[in-house]
Amino acid sequence: MFPILQIGPLALQTPGLFIILGIWVGLTISERHSHRYNISPETLSNMVFTFLVTGILGARIVYAVRYFDAFSETPLDFLSLNPGLFDLNGGIGIGFITTLIYGNRRHVPFWEFLDALTLLLAVTATSYYLSQLASGDAFGLETSLPWGIPLWGARRHPTQIYNFLAAIGVLVIIWLKAKFAGKSNIPGNAFLAFIAFSAGARLLLDAFRGDSVIIFYQIRITQVLAWCLLATSVLLEQRRKKT
Amino acid sequence: MHRSTNQNHSQILSISLLLLGLVWIGITAVFFDIPSDRGIPMPKEGFLAPEINLQSIDGITVQLSDLRGQAIMVNFWASWCPPCKTEMPAMQNVFDTYKDQGFVILAVNATHQDNAVMAVQFTEEYNLSFPILLDENGSVTASYQIHSFPTSFFIDTEGLVKEITIGGPLPEVLLRSKIKALLEDSH
Repeated sequence: MFPILQIGPLALQTPGLFIILGIWVGLTISERHSHRYNISPETLSNMVFTFLVTGILGARIVYAVRYFDAFSETPLDFLSLNPGLFDLNGGIGIGFITTLIYGNRRHVPFWEFLDALTLLLAVTATSYYLSQLASGDAFGLETSLPWGIPLWGARRHPTQIYNFLAAIGVLVIIWLKAKFAGKSNIPGNAFLAFIAFSAGARLLLDAFRGDSVIIFYQIRITQVLAWCLLATSVLLEQRRKKT
Repeated sequence: MHRSTNQNHSQILSISLLLLGLVWIGITAVFFDIPSDRGIPMPKEGFLAPEINLQSIDGITVQLSDLRGQAIMVNFWASWCPPCKTEMPAMQNVFDTYKDQGFVILAVNATHQDNAVMAVQFTEEYNLSFPILLDENGSVTASYQIHSFPTSFFIDTEGLVKEITIGGPLPEVLLRSKIKALLEDSH
């Protein structure tokens, strides 16, 4: 675990740093390959920019609405740069909806855009698991296996590393698909493959997590959600192949 | 015909994979159960907060476990830390607002990296009325795995760590929202 990177007087939070780097590297790589899906690099970066800006604004608005009483006493804090004043799920939701509307107005082809986005998502996923390793989040069940890591008072499965390696595997598959994407590529194929492989990996590896939320009879909610995503992506891919 | 056969094979493979997935969920539930006891004290969300047993600048011994039943903010600080100084007035404001609702702040001074005289001067300068604890040998700072100042732990009425914030200064609105969430969870 290495939550802080000390550079002289600066104490940088490594989890956030990994995510920012992941988005930057992922976007750079995606822009290079986006033409294979008939999406220009400018269109891709405009859509991502729209998502980020509206997502950040949306996250702040949702947080302010949730804690309206607190903000009403110090309304100028709405403009605070503190990262703790954002609602992540609200930001993702609002960012997604506004980007969808923006893309629709600009006549950006939906499935081709999702394909062009896939490398960004795959690279960001790898950086996300590295950020979990840095923060000690998503820790594993206790184990006596030789590769167990000492974390939170016990020797545990290095689930962050398992997930990181799986994400690397998915990234390689997606990168190869992008490299060899030809005219016969069905729009949406790359995106659905990314979702299917990522969901499959989560379904498998969440068995080793020690912090999962249980719904009933020790069944993990993340495994159920991953299975649903896997099923949806597989069914959609089959249907698009037929049409 | 060939394409239709391929599609059938693909469908069979997909269905088999999904069924395997369901079986794996079942195997996980039976053989990979998560221990219900998260009573190990650890400075991590969801775990019991490590014990604090320190003297305040007034010479009173304060023990974290004695405060079970209250919502607690444990703030680690040092007098040479600029963001620590900046956020103290906001902390005093929220302490004044919520102390009668079952909320308390424990401001742990990392005295092993600071000094008690400076900590007392700081307290008087900022007119702080919540407990200022002196961690003279650094044992509590070590048990909470503090890497930078300020770091704050929000602990619920059952003694579990709900949230950790690293760095600062924390704006007053953030403190209010976190304290409200802690107090609402306790009701």
